Amino acid sequence: MTASIDAHRPSLVGSSVRRVNDPRLLTGSGRFVDDISLPGTLHAFILRSTVAHGRLISFESGESPADIVLGPDDIAAATEPLPFVWIAPDQQHLHLPMGDTTVRYVGQPLGITVARTRAEAEDAAELVEMTIDQFPGVADSLAALEADAPLLYPDHGSNLAVDFHIGDDPDVLEAAMAAAPIIVSRRLRIPRIAPIPLETRGVLADWNVGTETLTVWMSTQTPHHVRDQLAHVLRLRIDQVRIISGDVGGGFGAKEHLYPDEVMVCLASIRLGVPVKWVEDRNEHFTATCHARDAVHDARLAMTQDGVFLAIHTKVTGNLGAHFSNVGTGPFRVSGLMLPGPYRVVNAGAKISGVFTNTTPTGAYRGFGMQEAAWVRERLVDEAARELGVDPLELRLRNVISSEELPHLTPTFQEYDSGDYARSLTMVRDRVRAHVPIVDPNPRIRRGIGFATHVEFTGLGPSVMQEIVGFRLGGYETAVVRMEPDGSVFVSSGVMGMGQGIETTLAQLAADCLGVGMDRVSVHLGDTAQAPYSAAGSIASRSMTVGGGAVVTAANTLREKILRIAAHRLEASAQDLVITEGRVCIKGDSSVGISLEELAEYSWLGWKLPEGETPDLEVKFVHDPSNISYPYATHAAAVAVDLDTGQVQIERYWVAHDSGVVVNPRIVDGQIAGGVAQGLGIALFEKVLYEENGQPNSTTFLDYLIPLASDVPDIVMDHFETPAPHIPGGMKGVGEGGTIVAPVAIGNAIAAAVPEIAGLILETPLSPGRLWELLRIGGLINE
Amino acid sequence: MNAPQTVMAINLVVNGVQVAREVEVRTLLSTFLRDDLGLTGTHVACEHGVCGSCTILVDSQSVRSCLLLAVQVDGTNVETVEGLGSLGSLSPLQDAMWREHGLQCGFCTPGILMSIEGEVRSGASAEAICDEVLSGHLCRCTGYQNIRTAIHAYFATKDES
Repeated sequence: MTASIDAHRPSLVGSSVRRVNDPRLLTGSGRFVDDISLPGTLHAFILRSTVAHGRLISFESGESPADIVLGPDDIAAATEPLPFVWIAPDQQHLHLPMGDTTVRYVGQPLGITVARTRAEAEDAAELVEMTIDQFPGVADSLAALEADAPLLYPDHGSNLAVDFHIGDDPDVLEAAMAAAPIIVSRRLRIPRIAPIPLETRGVLADWNVGTETLTVWMSTQTPHHVRDQLAHVLRLRIDQVRIISGDVGGGFGAKEHLYPDEVMVCLASIRLGVPVKWVEDRNEHFTATCHARDAVHDARLAMTQDGVFLAIHTKVTGNLGAHFSNVGTGPFRVSGLMLPGPYRVVNAGAKISGVFTNTTPTGAYRGFGMQEAAWVRERLVDEAARELGVDPLELRLRNVISSEELPHLTPTFQEYDSGDYARSLTMVRDRVRAHVPIVDPNPRIRRGIGFATHVEFTGLGPSVMQEIVGFRLGGYETAVVRMEPDGSVFVSSGVMGMGQGIETTLAQLAADCLGVGMDRVSVHLGDTAQAPYSAAGSIASRSMTVGGGAVVTAANTLREKILRIAAHRLEASAQDLVITEGRVCIKGDSSVGISLEELAEYSWLGWKLPEGETPDLEVKFVHDPSNISYPYATHAAAVAVDLDTGQVQIERYWVAHDSGVVVNPRIVDGQIAGGVAQGLGIALFEKVLYEENGQPNSTTFLDYLIPLASDVPDIVMDHFETPAPHIPGGMKGVGEGGTIVAPVAIGNAIAAAVPEIAGLILETPLSPGRLWELLRIGGLINE
Repeated sequence: MNAPQTVMAINLVVNGVQVAREVEVRTLLSTFLRDDLGLTGTHVACEHGVCGSCTILVDSQSVRSCLLLAVQVDGTNVETVEGLGSLGSLSPLQDAMWREHGLQCGFCTPGILMSIEGEVRSGASAEAICDEVLSGHLCRCTGYQNIRTAIHAYFATKDES
């Protein structure tokens, strides 16, 4: 079922109002962390390992003129280990030791220098003598599982960190595979990539000696989570620590937890009793901030002779890097959970192996496990279509879960909520059919169109589900909505803005519910001293779904109170009143009414209130959703492949998607366009490279390419809305879908353009060099 | 032999205001603008001249301020994003970017605005700016589509007036 827009829905929701925070960003008046200076601020530099594996045998600050130098011993003595957050079954390591003298990746923070300027802190670091006894290293996850591989944790006995199943019982699954008439089986890879927000990480820490409180300005997606972790690690009470996250220059998952170097900066401020600032430089960022993906999938899709899907399974070998990140095997698990996608399968499951290597830890990045799942599943589906000799889109339509079958429980325990998956496929199909193919006389340019579809896990999540999967973050969000004595509206939430426009869309929701204009509403995020508690912050496409749902309920509850008070003032029944244009009026007679300014002023005085009503016009609501919400989409890419150079150009791109109720269409379009661009980067350019022994080769924007304007086409988007039945307001998440689907839509398009090499399209990026090599293997290069 | 000179006096005009300062010769222009003059709208995202976030105008030419030393702009006319428009009075280009949702996190935006401003002054077309100039900037959020729309919208209003 597809819902049309509710006729009673207030007018601001569904409207492309301009974003409230843009004027400051456009005029250079934003306040990113590096823009903030406090009197007497000193500047820090982090000393890092330049070798991939070894033992730090000496750290001598010697003649360094720094205000302070802290080495591993100082850091370890002053801190507790940093707890990991998402713990896998039987995971042995539960904390990251601070000040570890065993070095396991290039970029590992070992110490800190602080001086008057950043340049002087770097000068001071030059004089610190670090001696590292170097060991052999290993960067690749499969190589790390070889018998003679160097061990990162000899006590653990193996580089295999954890190993577990999800979904159907392995015996049941193998029996289903054995009985299946056709199995399409491939080894597919999703390489290591990096989120690359344009603003790197940064911290300004200010220890107040008099009050013994620590205020930290930080570029983070999760202020409360960071606060709790920081207090624990620094042995402070949580109420001594305040995190303020102002404007954030992109996150994409890279800024969703506390990093050990950030702790060191805070420790230096405590030791010195003055503010200390550190802003990561881009070179540092490439090794010090979590990477993502890096998974090998041995995957199988089982089906009947008629192409009816029966079972899907993958064996994931996931590269954790030098230690578990805060989410550890989380992305690899989500790949397994979302592997079935929008298809009806009887059996599904995954075996997850997490592997330690001498590389930067892998963590969250837009698409979290689901981009990998889409690459694996949708490539297998296209390969299945090729083997059966059927149209790939028709094969998808044959197997997709119908709207009548929703809600639908998958073998991997996802209860898909609402929608019409086939409709997104047919919408894109119709767009593509209307497309006039480009005629090119050059026979060395091949063209093809590829499709991919998905259903997505957004809006983390019911807290009880988090408990079941061992993810130590509450899944709820809280909103505070308050009408001030002058009738203006204060909204606060624990989610964070980082470019996704959440300040604007939360204001739209509150303004609509309360019947006031956008100019009467302000949204306050990011300051733990002010915002309600948020365990998870802005991750997992949850800000609008979970945080927005909280605002809708809080604002509607406040509206009811306002109507009760107005009813008392106007001697009317609350049911006969409406709020419109800043006044509470009798329905159908706007001459009888009271302005919200007057109502609010008297309410806060405690005057003219009905019996039993409290004077405050403030509501706090905690929203813990009963389920994940599941948006979905179909993408198609039209590509041109140059057989002489291996160059791929994306000529057309179509998206049809349903993310529930759309609060601001222009912002939603922006999320999809930006997501697709990141997916295009994954498809064609992006790969973090390491030498076999763990020396990184991608440390500048000249080694790691992200898409430029000339690479990204304009995208044709079709929207439809099926409200999330369990979310107040009906919204589903929209932040990640573009990135999840685009790589495999492009991969399938390349396979369609050059069918001779379709079976070789197994990993990204399909860069000119890589594609040229595949074309050579396919006999398509004139030599 | 004299010790190498580590500090130099510079005089320049920044956003229409005469500025005289002593700076360490190793100070980057981006650092000088941000830390010495407090013009934090100029953002630094790579410090190796690739991303374009720190783009400003020096004598109306767009330059990467992370690739210049402050002492190199002695005697010039420097313009930064703070000189384009103000909160209550956005420039037509800033307004087009706002209207068309040409920014998300906004970190790369000041550099893009300054590049476009410089190219417009030298007579570049909307097409040339979309095809070539914009490819001198990294934006990780928008996918560039709405920036292109904003550039065309800006030219449309400019041509009308």
